[in-house]
Amino acid sequence: MTLDRVVWSMLQEALAVYRDSPRATGWLRSHIERYTEPVRIAVAGRSRIGKSTVVSALIGDEFAPLNSFVWYRNGTEPRAHVFSGPGRPHEVAVGRRGGRHHVEIGQFDRADRIVVEWPARTLRDVVLIDTPAEASPEQVLGEADALLYLMRHVQDEDLKYLQAANDHPIARTAAVHTVAVLARADEIGAGRIDALSSAKQIARRYRRDVAVQPLCQNVVSVAGLLAVAAKTLREDEFAALRSLASLGREELEDHLLSADRFVGEQFPVPMDPAVRQALLERFGIFGVRLITALIRQGFDTQVKLTGQLVQRSGLGDLRDSIAIHFTERREILKARSALLALDVLFRMEPRQNARKLMADLERVVASAHDFRELRLVAALQAGRTKLPAELQAEALRLVGAEGTTSLARLGFDYEADQREQREALLDALVRWQAQAADVHAPNDQRRAAQIVVRTCEGLLPQLS
Amino acid sequence: MSQVMAPPWLDVLDETIAACVTHRRPDLEARLREKRAQQLDPKLRVLVVGESKQGKSQLVNALLNAPVCAVGDDITTTVPTFVQHADTPSAALVRNASARGSIFHTPTERIAVPIEQVTKQVSTARSQHVVRAEIGIPRALLDSGLVLIDTPGVGDTRSAHTASTFATLMQADAALLVSDATGELTSAEMTLLKKVMEACPNVTVVVTKIDLVPSWRTVVERNKALLARAGVPAKLIPVSSALRLRAAKTGDQRLNNESGFPELLACVQRDIVASADLLARRAVAVVASSAISQLVTPLREELTAHDSSRTAATISTLQEAQRRVDELRRRSARWQNVLNDEMADLISDVEYDLRDRTRKILREVDKTYDEADPAIGWDKFEQWLEDNLNEAATTNFAWLMERAEWVAAKVAKNFPVYREDLIPGSVLPDDLLEPVGRLEKPKIEPFSIPQKLFTGLRGSYGGVLMFGLVTSLAGMPLINVISLGAGALFGGKSILDESDQRLKRRQAAAKAAAQRHVDDFFMKFSKDVRDSGRHIQRSLRNHFSTLAEEFQETLLESARSAKRAVQDDQTERERRLREGRKELDKLVTLYKRVQALGGPAMELSA
Repeated sequence: MTLDRVVWSMLQEALAVYRDSPRATGWLRSHIERYTEPVRIAVAGRSRIGKSTVVSALIGDEFAPLNSFVWYRNGTEPRAHVFSGPGRPHEVAVGRRGGRHHVEIGQFDRADRIVVEWPARTLRDVVLIDTPAEASPEQVLGEADALLYLMRHVQDEDLKYLQAANDHPIARTAAVHTVAVLARADEIGAGRIDALSSAKQIARRYRRDVAVQPLCQNVVSVAGLLAVAAKTLREDEFAALRSLASLGREELEDHLLSADRFVGEQFPVPMDPAVRQALLERFGIFGVRLITALIRQGFDTQVKLTGQLVQRSGLGDLRDSIAIHFTERREILKARSALLALDVLFRMEPRQNARKLMADLERVVASAHDFRELRLVAALQAGRTKLPAELQAEALRLVGAEGTTSLARLGFDYEADQREQREALLDALVRWQAQAADVHAPNDQRRAAQIVVRTCEGLLPQLS
Repeated sequence: MSQVMAPPWLDVLDETIAACVTHRRPDLEARLREKRAQQLDPKLRVLVVGESKQGKSQLVNALLNAPVCAVGDDITTTVPTFVQHADTPSAALVRNASARGSIFHTPTERIAVPIEQVTKQVSTARSQHVVRAEIGIPRALLDSGLVLIDTPGVGDTRSAHTASTFATLMQADAALLVSDATGELTSAEMTLLKKVMEACPNVTVVVTKIDLVPSWRTVVERNKALLARAGVPAKLIPVSSALRLRAAKTGDQRLNNESGFPELLACVQRDIVASADLLARRAVAVVASSAISQLVTPLREELTAHDSSRTAATISTLQEAQRRVDELRRRSARWQNVLNDEMADLISDVEYDLRDRTRKILREVDKTYDEADPAIGWDKFEQWLEDNLNEAATTNFAWLMERAEWVAAKVAKNFPVYREDLIPGSVLPDDLLEPVGRLEKPKIEPFSIPQKLFTGLRGSYGGVLMFGLVTSLAGMPLINVISLGAGALFGGKSILDESDQRLKRRQAAAKAAAQRHVDDFFMKFSKDVRDSGRHIQRSLRNHFSTLAEEFQETLLESARSAKRAVQDDQTERERRLREGRKELDKLVTLYKRVQALGGPAMELSA
């Protein structure tokens, strides 16, 4: 039985065992419901790091930030509900002012949760949760299956937050739910035109950093403002930017030196200061510099420009990361959340007749192959287990560090047919079996090889 | 005046150092000496601190219009960089000669490097034990002895950097706290600011990167409010290093004004360079007052706690000793009672057991001699009886011993203290189990043939006569067949009767003999058991009371010495108290003088 089926039946069994406790039943029912939902991804980080901006960029519509938990889920038409205290949620309006969507929660001085239903392609696979800066890791992760953690540079505080997020026995054996994001990538490079590529290099360095690596699955850099701009660039804005770009580089340079100069009095192009102010707020001084440079380089239609911005802002990388680490691993993340929930239940309401379930829980956590794969990925990446260099890359690929489809695992960069894949798989299987049986190899290497063999064996039936 | 007068702060500092020596605080002394040497040095060290990636190095570069510090998008500054005046540009890396060691007090070596390469060397110097970089360039700003110190970012994941920043902090005369305009001061930055203020009171907050942030004015306002709320008297200057560097390249004066650097430079000139003496006084005041408060605190505690702490300790020793003596007395009554009770129980139990065993034996004897003839197998019986009695005695005695040991353990448990030799090795009398006299054989009369003949004849005589008379009435002679037959019959019977009676007598005699023997045995053995019981009791009592006396003597001795200590303390204490008061008065006077130098106002009184 696959992991998600096992966990599903455990949830049902627990529901039967705890049928006389209303609290436990409520808890279990909410988790059963959650089990079939898309992955819930919480976006967290310090204040003013750009959480709402990243959420907006992912959705593709700009939302005004709100200081509480805001859930964005898929819906056929835009709607918003405010959950405040006990009682039924209140429906509130979603207005649009100056290109931004505003959830009108005016009459509620404090909202526990705001749920926005929004028709967007991204939200078909995920539920995004924008979190307030002061929320603790427990609050954030209680409701979420995965975490996007935003930071500028990795500082001690950030590491502490991520450690707290992993501070649970089950969470630790399956630390698979975090992607760290270097937000505000434009500021990392002090607004220079090559800021984004240097931010990408820094992200790459952190990916290999021993302090950061065990705590998250990936580190990517994102320029939030640009990413939002890419998704929501309007006709009039594009026209304004093009008229700016029509000016010579040297001529414009002086006026792009600082934010103050850009909105200053003496401007060479006849353009209302209010328009300039709006451009500045939307794209930042860096955004204006980059976009005008791009237009000059020939990305002079809105479509071309948007494509460039998505790629350069890091939004593309972030989406790929979310796909590989979160949506493709939906079953594991859901199972993980459910196991955590069961563990909480067993600790809060221990029972004689839940003994079997508790033992099951331990067994699943200790033995599920999916978790084992992920543990191996973590061990290999953190250097706890070392394989010879040429084997290390292959092992990581096979156990799914780069994606869990058979193509990704077998390292095909084109759509290989079943037969070809099968041959590659059998080849890998034989080699790894030999590796697992190699008496000269250290114990941890043999154990790693056994896990890889088990993965290959699991793939085999899919390809025959 | 021909003589150069020492500045007033130097006297105060020297006196504070002397006080540290008197109060045996070499740590404080070293810190103050370092500060003294540094203050006497005409150089003015300005530390540039802040979290990583706030633009510290770029700020230094922009201040000097020269790319002397490594800047980059990733963490670049890994060691403090000292930038000072020199007539020709020069640079050097200072390395620890030994592989490991702190920043101070270890031999270091200076390696001259070309000034163009120093930034590269610094940013890649992670593993080479480089302690700091020193750069000299000809700049008017540095002319007056100003040294700018660029530091690694605080709060970086590599904690070694943070440590070296704090080490440098101790040497600073003033500090520039750098925070960029992309966000207001974080709580970590506020903590850092307070920490910096403790070591070096002259701090200016520099808000950088204002060219990047459209809303930098709001950030500056918020930061000012934050500083005011925290009660930090620090100035706040917004700058843009990028604009300044560009202005320097193009010679654009207007851009230079926009960068905010003229104000920052003026501030450095006015607040740091021009007021070196005030700075020195302030810095000395801060360090000296913190040192004095550290001296005063334990002294005052000692004074107030003198009665209560040291004497209290002695008195509590005394009380403890007395309490233990009382405890010992109380508990010795208890163990004696336990011993008496247990031994009385023991003796009565053992006696009962013995009686029970002997009775069982006697009952067995009775049963045997109801049937058997003592004449046959007396020797065997004697052996059997002896064995049985011996066994009873042995079992009984073993039990006694066991119980006695148990009693000893129980008494030991009730004894006030525990010691290895608490349970006596042996409590046994040696001369036990003396054998009782042999069993006396009962008198056994044999029933011999002539006796049997005589008894038979006596019996038959009656029979012959009786039946002869009866048959003579029928005309038969007195001696006839019938009377002879009857005589034989009677004779036989009386022989049988006689032997039966004799058997009974023998049996009775045997029983009596056994009874007597067992009684004797019981008498003798129960006496022995009692004696050993009493013997055990006596030896246990002696053993334990000797121990108790020993203990009591030890306890009394410690109580006596505690009492002596209390008395001795009194005089000693008064002497120390007087001295302590004097010391404290001196320190408070010194502190007032330090305060007069212009340190932070702190309350301190005797």
